[in-house]
Amino acid sequence: MIKQMRRYEGWFGVAAGLCIVSGLYFGLVGSPADYYQGEVVRIMYVHVPLAYTAMLAYGALFSCSLWYLWKRDLIVDNMCQAAAGIGAFFTAVALITGSIWAKPTWNTWWAWDARLVSFAILLLILIGYLMLRTFTEEKERAARYAAVLAIVGGIDLPIIKFSVEWWRTLHQPLSISTRGLSIAKPMGIPLVFMIVGFSFLFFYMLAVRTQMLYLTHLLEAKKGRLLGEVHL
Amino acid sequence: MSFFNVIRWITWKDLISEFRNRENFSSMLFFALIVVLIFSFSFSMDQTSGREQIPGIIWVAFTFTGMIGLGKSFAAELHNDCLDSLQFSPAQKGAVFIGKFLANLLFLLFVELLLFPMFVLLFNLEVLEKLPTILVIFLGGSVGLSAVGTLFSAMTVQIRAREVMLPILLLPLAVPLIIGGVEATAGVLRGDPFLLYAHWIRLLFAFDVIFLVVSFWAFEWILDT
Amino acid sequence: MMAIRVFQVSKSYRYFQALREISFEVPPGSCYTLFGPNGAGKTTLLTILATLQRPSSGTIEILGHDGVKAREKIRPALFYVAHGSYLYDELDARENLRFALALYGKRVADRELKEALDRVGIGAFSDLRTRFYSAGMKKRLAVAKGILIRPKVLLLDEPYSSLDESGMAMVNDAIRELIDGGTAVFMATHNRTRSAEVANQAGLLRKGKLCPLGLEQLSGAHVIF
Repeated sequence: MIKQMRRYEGWFGVAAGLCIVSGLYFGLVGSPADYYQGEVVRIMYVHVPLAYTAMLAYGALFSCSLWYLWKRDLIVDNMCQAAAGIGAFFTAVALITGSIWAKPTWNTWWAWDARLVSFAILLLILIGYLMLRTFTEEKERAARYAAVLAIVGGIDLPIIKFSVEWWRTLHQPLSISTRGLSIAKPMGIPLVFMIVGFSFLFFYMLAVRTQMLYLTHLLEAKKGRLLGEVHL
Repeated sequence: MSFFNVIRWITWKDLISEFRNRENFSSMLFFALIVVLIFSFSFSMDQTSGREQIPGIIWVAFTFTGMIGLGKSFAAELHNDCLDSLQFSPAQKGAVFIGKFLANLLFLLFVELLLFPMFVLLFNLEVLEKLPTILVIFLGGSVGLSAVGTLFSAMTVQIRAREVMLPILLLPLAVPLIIGGVEATAGVLRGDPFLLYAHWIRLLFAFDVIFLVVSFWAFEWILDT
Repeated sequence: MMAIRVFQVSKSYRYFQALREISFEVPPGSCYTLFGPNGAGKTTLLTILATLQRPSSGTIEILGHDGVKAREKIRPALFYVAHGSYLYDELDARENLRFALALYGKRVADRELKEALDRVGIGAFSDLRTRFYSAGMKKRLAVAKGILIRPKVLLLDEPYSSLDESGMAMVNDAIRELIDGGTAVFMATHNRTRSAEVANQAGLLRKGKLCPLGLEQLSGAHVIF
């Protein structure tokens, strides 16, 4: 499977590059500024794709974790770890860009909006996942525990989303957000480009990072065999 | 029916060990008291704004106290390598899970039932007529917390930084329980009509059912290679 | 059919390879003794045989079943006595024994329990909570468990440690009785004289590699490693 990754990753990389560049062009230059928000709305072209890709990353993590528990393949476990790391990164940047968008729009760095809170919890779960992997001693045990955490978390995420939404509608009708409204055509097309482009980017990064992790483990195994010869 | 036999033995063993040596129980109880006192200082309790925090204080006390008990649940199995003996024995891992889960649940409920009269006295709550509803809410939250908590206690007990990893992993996942528990309790204490907060109770029980099943399934992967 | 068959088993950890292509066979009703310097990998091999860990490569067959994929079929007939005593501190000897038997789906009459406890020499302490037991007493209780469970495969890690002369003789007695009943015993030990009394086969594990030993080498006075 590593060979397939090496063959296709290049295409993903190129596709990602094309989509993102064209998306950025249309978004930043080609489309009009928003009526209410002015130029600031252009952050949406980065923030929204980041958010979608973060969820895509967790979806990949969830499926690969199930796959690992079924087949116990080392490479699948490497994919899980790669997806989690990339997902955590994208989630964090999504939150940061969301915060940057919020300040001029609502005059606050953080708002207890259902989606922001859900994303913050997602980030906590992903960081917990990475910490679990770091603190567990044996590789096989770490892979197993992490897979279970990813699956339990994946089942919980929709429930978390619902409960946070109910909680927010109860306590504070938030000031109007343009994100929920239908988006004008000139803004919609670059947005789609960016979302598709970021998705390709995710798969590219996933392929590269998985191979990195796999090679690291190979190296450790060889070191272990050599050390074993000298040991005792 | 050795499946149910195993469950009975494990639950009995945990409860009687705690009964014969009350160190966990007393430490949990005192910890809860301290949490409540500190929160009471932080939110000036005599004003109405303070009173709005009461359901939150109750559930924070329950959650953190519960986490202590859950952590100790499997830490006790590490002593004398008992966890290994559970793993290589033919006992079904699902039975071990249910046994542990029931012991943790009963223990948590016991501590909650001891703490609740104290809350009533401290905060001057009027709850006599609504007592059954409140107990149902406590049960709903505790089942979910014990189910996922038992699973993650088994997971974190054999890793480094075990005491801090259990809350780090468990708390984000328990968010629906905390939100549901606090909102439902707040609804009851405010005297709202039942329909206004019933959906929170439904959320708690939906969480319970889903995660009992999921934790039961996942436990085998944790306890066994 | 061999009770234990190990073929080209290796086990590596992150930076270290503990076992290298180990192969051996143990027929039922016999005893294999494993020697080796500290850190040679004896405990690793035992935990793999006890189905507590998976080998990195190679095959293991216990009682005809695959040691990784068919663990559920092996475990009812397997017992492992290691360093940890698998005892719960707050339970007394009888309760600990009944708990262990319940994990194996077995139930015994009070009389049989008392006989087993008397036989291993702790009959007088059967009502004492095991937190007060000495290391030797805990070991004797572990032997009592082995006698009552009657496994077809018995794995022992340093069975003679913590025991006095009568205790070590008692262990060998129990081993002989189990062997006569068809049990295959696999033991790792440093005690050559005692194990020579019951061993049918011997091997030396050094730096993860296994080489067979002749039984006559066990009784010699020279140092094997």
